[in-house]
Amino acid sequence: MKLTIAKEQLVAGLQAVQNVVGSRTTLPILSNVLLSANEGRLELTATDLDVTIACSVNATVERPGKTTLPVKKFFGIIRELPTGEIELDVDEKSVCAIRAGASFFKINGLAAEEFPPMPSFKQARAVSLPQEKLKAMLRKTSFAVSTDESRYVLNGIFFSLKDHKVTLVATDGRRLALTDEETEISAEAQADFIVPTKAINEVNRLLGSTGTVELKYSENQVAFTTAAEGQMGALIISKLVDGNYPNYRQVIPGECQERISLPREEFLGALRRAELMTSDKSNSVKLSFSRNQLAITANTPEVGEARENLAINYKGKDFAIAFNPAYLMDPLKALETDEVAFELIDELSPGVVKASVPFLYVIMPMRMS
Amino acid sequence: MADLTAPSTPPARPAARVILHLDMDAFYASVEQRDRPDLRGRPVIVGSPPDQRGVVCAASYEARKFGVRSAMPSRTAGRLCPQGVFVRPRMEEYRHESREIFRLVAATGVFVEQVSVDEAYLEATALIPPALRSEPDAALEWARPLAEELKRSIREQRRLTASVGIAGNKLLAKLASDYRKPDGLMLIPERDKVAFLRPLPVRALHGVGRVTEEALVGAGLGTIGHLQDYPGDLRHLVGSWGPVLKRFAVGEDDRPLELGDEVKSISSETTFEHDTADRPTLRAALREHADDIARKLERRHLWARTVQVKVRYGDFTTLTRQFSVEEPVVEAREIYRLGCWLLAQHQLVSRPLRLLGLGVSGLAEAQARQLRLSLG
Repeated sequence: MKLTIAKEQLVAGLQAVQNVVGSRTTLPILSNVLLSANEGRLELTATDLDVTIACSVNATVERPGKTTLPVKKFFGIIRELPTGEIELDVDEKSVCAIRAGASFFKINGLAAEEFPPMPSFKQARAVSLPQEKLKAMLRKTSFAVSTDESRYVLNGIFFSLKDHKVTLVATDGRRLALTDEETEISAEAQADFIVPTKAINEVNRLLGSTGTVELKYSENQVAFTTAAEGQMGALIISKLVDGNYPNYRQVIPGECQERISLPREEFLGALRRAELMTSDKSNSVKLSFSRNQLAITANTPEVGEARENLAINYKGKDFAIAFNPAYLMDPLKALETDEVAFELIDELSPGVVKASVPFLYVIMPMRMS
Repeated sequence: MADLTAPSTPPARPAARVILHLDMDAFYASVEQRDRPDLRGRPVIVGSPPDQRGVVCAASYEARKFGVRSAMPSRTAGRLCPQGVFVRPRMEEYRHESREIFRLVAATGVFVEQVSVDEAYLEATALIPPALRSEPDAALEWARPLAEELKRSIREQRRLTASVGIAGNKLLAKLASDYRKPDGLMLIPERDKVAFLRPLPVRALHGVGRVTEEALVGAGLGTIGHLQDYPGDLRHLVGSWGPVLKRFAVGEDDRPLELGDEVKSISSETTFEHDTADRPTLRAALREHADDIARKLERRHLWARTVQVKVRYGDFTTLTRQFSVEEPVVEAREIYRLGCWLLAQHQLVSRPLRLLGLGVSGLAEAQARQLRLSLG
């Protein structure tokens, strides 16, 4: 394999794939990136066997071929090279010579045949979405994903594709975020699956603001393929979380006692300030509603307290409820609307945050002792 | 105008800390040898007789030469040391003796964290003369006569020997008391601590159990010196504990003494009549333990951050596995769920169990409690 490639092309390609390579892998080949050169393109692939990422960049290929190189070391070298053309020349022993300007490197690789084969899809179903849309949907849900490894079915985002809608749900058992988007889904493409957090992070990183992303899925894996005019496309393939997502619909409250409209940014700012007066041990803020006023208070014994009043439109009875401020702020940060609607039943029942965009957030309060 | 006569802030100097670790030598066995002259100089094994199901509680130094260790099945001990004299433990007697010893300890005026009947950390920091408070090594030397006096009074009044370690923190003090057993007195100066730790195996560090040891040795880190030289913070090898382990490796440890009688953990276990791998039996046992623990937490208004399971197989191999949760647990259902998950995650029921235990630690006073969605 022999080719020349512009530095920024190679850097972009490596940046796209190298994240998936762990620092500690049991198989040495998994520390390597697969390079495959053919007809004006260089394809790069990296995998940890759970998630695989591939992309392709422009190159002038003199001699087509394949090899694998230790990605951290290779990327480290390429990043430090001066801007300009880089020549890669790989011999039959998988040793890669790198030439750029006055710099010369030799780096030992492993044969391409040792690299795990690309997962194949049999009888896959597919839907297509604008990249920008999916990115916005992930932004509105991914913060609620559980990181508790003892609840592995919650360690990912639930995708439901049915009834002309893509619905995304994430929950950690204390709050739940849901968003949906209308889209064309054929009868045979209907499906439910859970995409693990690691893959979500990679998809999120590689989604742009233009072009489309195609989701292809089968019984146990999913592929996201991005394509956009004038931009590098990427392919992310991931295993699905094996298990049944809990019936999330049962935790969405039907009716509410109070529906309160709140200015999003002011509410967020007040929570940020109140949070300063919480601690690990005392991590709640109290929301006290009274006629046309919301008082936000935090109180940590031996540290101090915070109090802030917000003028709101409220005619109901006096009422107080406590929340973990982080859980309350997450959706406010993810939304961009001016107002949010807060629906409450009583101090021990789930609260609901809604907005003028497709979004639903259920949050459990804290029981004050 | 600035007041030029005001004294400038003095440069920060290290604050001296003096910790002693007191460890009675082969405590139960020594009490037996003291009370029964016929046992002196002989390999004494306190515990169940060798022909019965049970374990060794303590072994005299004569018996340890044969490889007899506490917690070992008595049968094994009998095989290793056929001439061993097996003695039934007299727990009431040992507790009484312990109280007498701690009376002598208390008389020194230090703070005491009693770890068990025969082991304690003592903190003498408050007694350091003012002139030595920013001279860590001189302060440690100052404590040497205090330790000698304590050893002497235990020897003369209780006719038992103790080993004492002196150092600037708990980690080193414990290593020091262990280093010159029995009847030892060892001081690790601050200036020598890094060199002292260097050749020791990683297992010597507080908190490094078998699993961590395997992970470290597997990465080529067999000695504490390897940890000291390791460039990263060890997080990818041992998880979030990495930075603490790294500090331990250079002899830094700021754990305070745990004073008072607060509860640190709650646990409950069952020894089955016959070793079993029957899932319904094991689940029923776990559920019972979870209920029991939840009741105790409730009564004390506590919650727990860590859940632990313990299993013992027919050959007495004992394993514990624990998991720390983001949101503290109080409910039996959640404790039970985590117990089941730990057993499954670590495939602990790979063969029949002799014993199954469940416990919680990381206890704190229950505060405002996060409610959970009823996801089922």
